[in-house]
Amino acid sequence: MITLEDVSKRYPNGTYALRDIDLHIPAGDFVFIVGSSGAGKSTLNRLLIREELPTTGHVVVDGQDVARLRRSKVPLLRRKVGVVFQDFKLLPTKTVYENVAFALIVTGHDGTTVREETDRALALVGLLPRRHHFPRELSGGEQQRTAIARALVMRPKVLVADEPTGNLDPVTTWEIIKLLVRVNELGTTVLVATHNAEIVNALRRRVVHLDHGRVIRDEREGLYAA
Amino acid sequence: MTRLLYVLAAAWHGFSRNPFMSVASTLTVALMLVLLAFFVVTDRGLQSAVALLEQKVELVLYLSDDAKISQILDLRARVEKDPAVSRVDYVSKDDALQRLKELAATRADIGPIEEIGSNPLPASLEIKLAKAQESRRVASELRAEVGGGIVTEVVDNPEVVDQLLTITRVLSIGGLVVLGMMLFVTLFIIVNTIRIAVHARRDEIEIMQLVGATDQLISAPFVLEGMLVGIFGAALALLVLIGAAGPVTTSLVKFLDILPVSLGPNFLARLAAGVFGLALLMGAGGATISIRTHLSR
Ligand SMILES: Nc1ncnc2c1ncn2[C@@H]1O[C@H](COP(=O)(O)OP(=O)(O)OP(=O)(O)O)[C@@H](O)[C@H]1O
Ligand SMILES: [Mg+2]
Repeated sequence: MITLEDVSKRYPNGTYALRDIDLHIPAGDFVFIVGSSGAGKSTLNRLLIREELPTTGHVVVDGQDVARLRRSKVPLLRRKVGVVFQDFKLLPTKTVYENVAFALIVTGHDGTTVREETDRALALVGLLPRRHHFPRELSGGEQQRTAIARALVMRPKVLVADEPTGNLDPVTTWEIIKLLVRVNELGTTVLVATHNAEIVNALRRRVVHLDHGRVIRDEREGLYAA
Repeated sequence: MTRLLYVLAAAWHGFSRNPFMSVASTLTVALMLVLLAFFVVTDRGLQSAVALLEQKVELVLYLSDDAKISQILDLRARVEKDPAVSRVDYVSKDDALQRLKELAATRADIGPIEEIGSNPLPASLEIKLAKAQESRRVASELRAEVGGGIVTEVVDNPEVVDQLLTITRVLSIGGLVVLGMMLFVTLFIIVNTIRIAVHARRDEIEIMQLVGATDQLISAPFVLEGMLVGIFGAALALLVLIGAAGPVTTSLVKFLDILPVSLGPNFLARLAAGVFGLALLMGAGGATISIRTHLSR
């Protein structure tokens, strides 16, 4: 599903955020990306949705070289790769339902699809009872579940979560992680960048460890630290 | 359909969210368009006036009483060959006196002509020009004839012609410059209005980009908002123009009485269409500049 070949990323200010990355993530994988602050986790995520371009090498998502994609095709890539962030990025003036439906509306889906798919996504994350609430009326966990629903409503092939539990307490963190595992079981490839050792160690999933922009460890049933 | 509703709602929301800016740019667009319409009408009138006056430009060659008819006919034939000359009329001494008497009959300040014993008026050739700009050249060529025994004097009115041409040129260029500046200011204001709207919705735009909305769809509400500014501005301008149309038409009719000028039956309709078209173009163009600049960052 995702292949990185010899990828380096150098920002305009000269910082090398990634160096010589070779990584293959097959469809259906669940991968933790770990590493200390500044290791390059967010940069890796940005390359996958072409928010940034690799300086060298190839980033291939679902058979397509992301760097070769014409600007007009970038939206199609983004519909395949859902993203979730630490700060949720919900629109405060829209309800839970509207935030999720928004993704479908602005990607040109018809009214029936918008209604059906929004309800399906909200049911999946368990937020149907909260559908008419505004983000400020929700707990952090509920806000993050709304954000996950908004990503899932597009039925993406890949879900990329960048520190999705960074703002949440331990109990809520577990809720979110269990939700992401569930999403993975339903067939979506999931990447989670995280600093949370406890959940990485408990889940024993694939772990890709970045350090100063390099992959220093890639284990199938890894722990947070070697 | 859902998409269309989204675009319409977002555009209207954007327009009404920042009423001060929207009204300011609408007013600017309206002002620009009224000036434009005023300029177009004035320019039309001036051009017609110039065309008319150009027809009237003439030179007069006063002829010596001693000149023979054959010499005069010869001179007339030569003058008529000049492509800048459209027509040459011979006015005899008797014709000239007759004209003076007719003029005196209508004017109290000229005494009775009967008192004059002999006819002091010279015969003349009246030359109508096809091209007013050439009047100076033709006149100077004819001045070479003075002293040859036939022509005693060449009278022209080149200053009038030159001044008229200068005035229209200055007005046209000046009008274009002012208009150009107005266009620029209007575009600037529209660009800024939409830039503010884009800024107010940058979070929404970011999310649209993340979930895979196309640039066209992200831009559409803003372009429409720019067009709304244009449409409202044009409507306001047309209201002003219609309000002004009454008095202007009356004075135009008086004006047209003097000058056989016609603005054409479709002129006002075409002007209105032009005003709307330009407003839409500027609204859409200015908005496109703003949103595309934001998206290409
Ligand atoms: N837009 C940018 N311009 C310049 N340098 C950047 C930019 N974004 C990130 N960096 C640098 O690239 C390196 C990797 O940053 P990145 O955000 O990918 O790290 P991270 O692993 O996500 O860190 P964290 O765990 O703190 O989120 C850091 O040194 C960072 O300072
Ligand atoms: Mg990061």
